[in-house]
Amino acid sequence: MIPKELINELRRIVGDRHVSETRTAAELYSYDGSLATGAPGAVVFPADTLETSRVVKAAARAGVAFAPRGFGTNLSGGTVLPYGGLTVCLARLNRILGIFPASRSAVVQPGVTNLELQNALSPLGFFYAPDPASQKVATLGGNVGENSGGPRCLKYGVTTNHVIGLEVVLTSGELLRLGGADVDPLGYDLRALLIGSEGTLAVVTEVTVRIMPKPEKVMTQLVVYNAVDDAARSVADIIAAGIVPATLEMMDSPIIRAVEDSIACGYPRDAAAVLIIEVEGPAEGLEKQAGRIREICTANRCREVRDAAGAEERGRLWEGRRGAFGAVARLAPNYLVNDCTVPRTLLPNALVQVAEIVKRYGFEHGNVFHAGDGNLHPLILFDSRDPDQLKRVHEAGWEIMQACVALGGTISGEHGIGLEKMAAMRMVFSDADIDAQRSLQEAFDPARVLNPGKMFPDTTRPFAFKDQAAWARPGDALSAIEERMAEEVKHAFAADQALLPLGGGSLAGAGNLPSRPTTPLRTNALDGMIELDPANQYFTSGAGMTLAAIQEALAPHNQWLPLRPAFGVLRRTIGGVTATGALGPERIAYGAPRELLLGLRFVDGRGRLINAGGKVVKNVAGYDMTRLIAGSAGSLGLITRVTMKTATRPERCAVVSACGIPEACASLAAQLLGSSLGAVFAAAAPDDGSNRWRLQVGFEGFGDTVAAQLARAEALFEKSDFRSVRAEEYNVLTGPFCGLYDRIAGCPFVLRMGAPPDRTGRAAAILKQQARVEALLVDFGSGRILAGTSDMNDASWNEIGQRLRELAGHAVLEKSPDEFKTRNDVFGPPRPEWNLMHRVKAILDPKLIFAPGRMPGLIQQGCRNAP
Amino acid sequence: MSISAHYDEIAHCNHCGFCQTACPIFRSTGYEGGVARGRLALLRAVIEGRLQWSPEIEEPLYSCLLCGACTSNCFPAIPTADLVTTARSEYLEKVGRKSIHRLLFDKLLPYPRRLHLAARAIAMGKNSGMSELARALGLLRIFGRDLSRAEAIVERLPAQAFRERFKPGVFEGQGRSQHVAYFVGCGVDVVSQAAGEATLALLRRFSRSVHVLNNNCCGLPAWSYGDLPAARKLAGKNLAVLEVQSVDAIVTDCSSCTGFIKKYPRLFSEDDPQRKVALSIAAKARDVSEWLAAEVIPISKSLEGKRVTFHDPCHAVRGQGLVKQPRELLHRMPGAEFVELPEADWCCGGAGSYALSHYDLAMQVLDRKMANLKKTGADVLVTTCPACIIQLSYGVRRHGLKVDVRHLTEVI
Repeated sequence: MIPKELINELRRIVGDRHVSETRTAAELYSYDGSLATGAPGAVVFPADTLETSRVVKAAARAGVAFAPRGFGTNLSGGTVLPYGGLTVCLARLNRILGIFPASRSAVVQPGVTNLELQNALSPLGFFYAPDPASQKVATLGGNVGENSGGPRCLKYGVTTNHVIGLEVVLTSGELLRLGGADVDPLGYDLRALLIGSEGTLAVVTEVTVRIMPKPEKVMTQLVVYNAVDDAARSVADIIAAGIVPATLEMMDSPIIRAVEDSIACGYPRDAAAVLIIEVEGPAEGLEKQAGRIREICTANRCREVRDAAGAEERGRLWEGRRGAFGAVARLAPNYLVNDCTVPRTLLPNALVQVAEIVKRYGFEHGNVFHAGDGNLHPLILFDSRDPDQLKRVHEAGWEIMQACVALGGTISGEHGIGLEKMAAMRMVFSDADIDAQRSLQEAFDPARVLNPGKMFPDTTRPFAFKDQAAWARPGDALSAIEERMAEEVKHAFAADQALLPLGGGSLAGAGNLPSRPTTPLRTNALDGMIELDPANQYFTSGAGMTLAAIQEALAPHNQWLPLRPAFGVLRRTIGGVTATGALGPERIAYGAPRELLLGLRFVDGRGRLINAGGKVVKNVAGYDMTRLIAGSAGSLGLITRVTMKTATRPERCAVVSACGIPEACASLAAQLLGSSLGAVFAAAAPDDGSNRWRLQVGFEGFGDTVAAQLARAEALFEKSDFRSVRAEEYNVLTGPFCGLYDRIAGCPFVLRMGAPPDRTGRAAAILKQQARVEALLVDFGSGRILAGTSDMNDASWNEIGQRLRELAGHAVLEKSPDEFKTRNDVFGPPRPEWNLMHRVKAILDPKLIFAPGRMPGLIQQGCRNAP
Repeated sequence: MSISAHYDEIAHCNHCGFCQTACPIFRSTGYEGGVARGRLALLRAVIEGRLQWSPEIEEPLYSCLLCGACTSNCFPAIPTADLVTTARSEYLEKVGRKSIHRLLFDKLLPYPRRLHLAARAIAMGKNSGMSELARALGLLRIFGRDLSRAEAIVERLPAQAFRERFKPGVFEGQGRSQHVAYFVGCGVDVVSQAAGEATLALLRRFSRSVHVLNNNCCGLPAWSYGDLPAARKLAGKNLAVLEVQSVDAIVTDCSSCTGFIKKYPRLFSEDDPQRKVALSIAAKARDVSEWLAAEVIPISKSLEGKRVTFHDPCHAVRGQGLVKQPRELLHRMPGAEFVELPEADWCCGGAGSYALSHYDLAMQVLDRKMANLKKTGADVLVTTCPACIIQLSYGVRRHGLKVDVRHLTEVI
């Protein structure tokens, strides 16, 4: 029952029409796309952010549990209320607020569906990469809540790689903006923590997404097989050949027939399996990739490779794939869908086990899945009207999850934990891991009214399957060292001794001055490659391993870690790179370290070893601790090991550059980056001895593609009246900017500025007004500026901070004299979200022993800069 | 038939939600009670005993446009519109029919003469501003509380019904092939008479003879409302009129009527002798666009230099699968530029008398249609259903657009 007073208050906030407490409404909001049910006591439909914040605050103050909901199509029970409460339906927040091609971003309300956004972007020549199969009806708020994937995420990544800003309401009613078009905001990555938190931490009221220019060309192939195994092997071989298709989808025969019975999509009814493979990118070289795929599939005994002739045929092929879940509804009233993920080479094994399990429980099933990233979707057919079937189907689902975890996979690749997979969390996370995740709720929702009873199982109860759990596996070469370091932290915790994690040492002077004396905690011992799996393209190494050593280990497999972090590049340790989120201008093509991370292990402020993430590319089990810890600069814990994905080495790396005035550089860079040319970076640096900049545009990939890209970029330069056009090759591991990085790093003050990409030029102009810049790199792709100067006074620093904020950007001093730091916050003027960051730190590091004082806000020292 | 008999069909909804994207009502409200998934969930709850037949479920049942777009987006193709009308029928049995509906379906629609009289009375009221008289007559009021605003939808009612000017009977034709019967829908009869005249002229030009029928309402409004006995009665009376016709085709210029006549057989059980008649009538029923596409090559220059677009009536596109026929005709119009209307097959919100009972929802649906219409920059909007013409014309006036809304037969 919802208290009458609350109902009355809600009516005052949103209007009588938008509150419903009838039995009909309870029934209508008692389900979602999963099998879970739970009826709310009332449903409220706020119209906008303000109403949402007032509704949230009112419910929290009344102590009434509530769950946010979009269109209710999620597949794990995250939006139903098993113990009653209030449904906060955000369906009315359904407007696209703005599309900004120049900064390559768009701002939407949470009730906009994924497809509506795609349809709005398409005429402008852009797209939003995540494309869940349910994109017609899945809202972007829901995509954020579940960290949705989709077919295309094989190439582009999932929601967390493309949502760059959130506006959220906390249960206090407080409204916060986390990130935005400025892609790398200061401090902890709270966006990442919220994405995939299934509406248990905050209510999202606005989403800023990264949008990308549509590829120049797309080629779609339908490959037909007589045996499922052959299809699965083709998948592994294609990736191993260094081709990164945009999508690599598979369907087996029951699904093929069900789909064909619904709509004629052109899948052969007698096939054992089909793959839908799509490659996209610059037109040159694409035919060759498609040809190579054809060869690989033929070598794996495919029956036929059919190229989609045009947009219409392509549309039909996809319509079938996207409708596969609905299509099986023809075969039986209900299905249970499991979205386990396994390393892709183990797909054939996983499929055999799934078939055996389903058969043993007396059900039929079909498989449709994202084969490229090993994300299974067995659909087990049953009738929920039969209680016995309902019980058995859940048991079968449980066994499938166990089997996939045993293969090194995880329990959910994209659908989320919700209610349905709560118990299975203990297969992949230890009690300490789960408790660490759950404890973060305290920082966001101390009263625990927001979607309670989801995601996290009761760890005080016995767990019968401990032997099969991933976290209980025997240790490796690193484990003993990790234990020892955890012990050290425990001692420090007991003794209240502050620690400063140190890898290669490049981080030693980062952030604000320590608020009390610290003892260095070195990661040198955490060295060495623990697991290197070239076929599945990931590795696990100790945090102390240098990038040079990692690249060397990957080289024999023709792979690399696509990171060239500024300042130090190969000398840096992987732990340090992860902790600082260090990156270079090639970020727009390969991503920041957070994009490459699959999982990590860290020691928290109490000395507990905590696991985060895993080793499969799609993983939405639990909160995204991985990305919260990454970028926390050693202030939330000590990273002991990381698991990252690797890439096939590009055949050729070349940069074409030319000189122009700064404004022309900004304008041409914007044109290039908004086009489908496929540049890996576009950055400029002053050309020595003139007031011009040299704009440098990089291309990496297959040789013939790069050659064509270079030619087209050169033509663009010449057409735009740039001078001294030249093209050069560069080393894939070190990139073209090492010398410049060293010059910047050699200055007493090193600044890093970030802004929405279309404002990079204005940010640079502000800097020029305030300081005499000695070395400068302007990265138009990420909206990032690195600059070195020998002189910076307090007033200038303040001015830069304020002006950058006005641009919706930020400035931070990566390096500055200690004397300067005694008077200034190196992160600039205080921001409201920093309070929340400090609450998060206080949970994971209650005695503030890790790098105290380093983080933005200086708040822990009661400094004047406290927000 | 009780809704429980459809338990299996209803249970096939696995909540995938794909109906949401296609439902004009859900797209306007975002409310789960206004979409197939929600309606099916409620019906399942009623069958399983969690909910009772009560006025609480009236709105979800009656806010459905019956446009059928959900079924087109439903992989198990659950016929939600049919299930909703079945449920409405059971609802009326269990909760009761309103007296005003009894007046309409039992006393007025079965009798064309009475309908004409009523329409004339309203027309006098409407055209002379004496709308009190119209209200007193109650024809429009039956549809519910939103009447006073909805009244403006029909701009002007002609003083004489179509069949008062063209008396039922046989008209000579100039064509060579077929003898046809012209089934005059209520919309054409009392409102969209220009369409009726154009249809009759076309039929006379291209057929050997045209029999203007003395039919009554096709029964669709009663069926939509859930009053199956009334629908059966109306259809039965029409069958008696149609049965005696020895014509090659029964042509209607109201896609809703044609769609429903083609459905007549399902109104009667297997052992009902009327079913056989219904089957033979349904086989001869032709939407005017269907008939014209087979018989006519347009030569009229009425659209010369104009940009023209087409709105698909629900009962044409989903009810009868007519997509290509009207477009082919328009493509062949001399000097006209055809542009496709975005979301052309989305309901306009007219949905028979829907706008009269759910004015706000109907207007939201209509506004979406008008926004799409603006994108085309069309001068002429063509369709094949009088109810759509009334609603679309209202939309054009409401949005201050300079678009001519015409029946297909008026421009060919």
